[in-house]
Amino acid sequence: MSAGTLRSTAYDDVPHTRGGVVDRTEVGALVRSAVDGDAAAWKALVEGLGPLVWSVVRAHRLSDADGHEVFQTVWFRFAQHLGRIREPDKAGAWLASTARHECLKVLKGLNRLTLTDDPQVLDRASEERTPEETLIDSEEAADRAERVRRLWQELDGLGERCRQLLRVLMASPPPSYTDVSAALGIAVGSIGPLRQRCLRRLRARMDARGAA
Amino acid sequence: MNGQDERPDGPEAFADAALEEELRQAAAVLDPVPDGLRQLALEAYALHDLDARIAELTFDSLTDALPVRGAFDAPRMLTFQAGEVTVDVEVTEDGLIGQVLPPVPARVEVLSGPKTARPVAVDALGRFTGDLPPAGPFALRLRTGGEVIVTEWLRA
Repeated sequence: MSAGTLRSTAYDDVPHTRGGVVDRTEVGALVRSAVDGDAAAWKALVEGLGPLVWSVVRAHRLSDADGHEVFQTVWFRFAQHLGRIREPDKAGAWLASTARHECLKVLKGLNRLTLTDDPQVLDRASEERTPEETLIDSEEAADRAERVRRLWQELDGLGERCRQLLRVLMASPPPSYTDVSAALGIAVGSIGPLRQRCLRRLRARMDARGAA
Repeated sequence: MNGQDERPDGPEAFADAALEEELRQAAAVLDPVPDGLRQLALEAYALHDLDARIAELTFDSLTDALPVRGAFDAPRMLTFQAGEVTVDVEVTEDGLIGQVLPPVPARVEVLSGPKTARPVAVDALGRFTGDLPPAGPFALRLRTGGEVIVTEWLRA
């Protein structure tokens, strides 16, 4: 599990993704190529939509073991259904929706087994602090890392709805609102206003910490 | 295009976009897709099989049955359907028991990933028993007559 491990070099590896929303026509073309046997197209789908599926898993706060199984199940099923997906252009929404349903099943199974109202037992990113100081040399990078760490912590204090929405929105490349809607079961039209409210609340918390 | 392009572009909206982007970078650094999972997703391409029919999940006791009070370790009951063929499966701690209907002789394998298939014993009436409970995602592959049927991938 690499959550909590801060690799300073990764900053430079992350492409600037604003405006790089996964293009639906492109996704449709990749799905069709993969159906025809193009392994490179499949790889591009995994690279382009894997982070979305992972974000959905994370948004539902599954344990690592459950989250890994859901991720695998979603991709196994996607491969299985590949040639039968009715709207290849919407493969992102298909994956997001499948991930959501599998997550809800896990949570339902947990509830039944443990009788707990709160199956969200793990919250590793905010508690499992690895000594990033040892990994980061420059002061500037350390400052940035500190801000990232605080952002991550403040995210947890936002309330479940906001945390879930932002965790899905921050997939890379940015998911379309159709994908977000499928991932969380909320109407496309409510995503914009909710996003705005959540981001502003997060910014206010950061400001209050004097970390802005 | 999607709704993200329809946002008003005031300074607040700009700050929102910047913060969202900052979060995206944070997620990419602090919580990326684990390498092993990415690899498994790549390998999953091998599960793409246009010749097999998919038996869709039509009943799952986890979501479709009323919970039985006190019966917390009730077995998971699953029903899959492909056309006229039905596969009933019961997953318990000891393994799985299943039945192909209408009863036909079939060869049945439990798949647990792109590379793992384990045969299970089937009797002449299409009843089968596997002595290992599936851990993680699994699917059943049935060969009957000239046909291959694979159940939808599911997490046990």
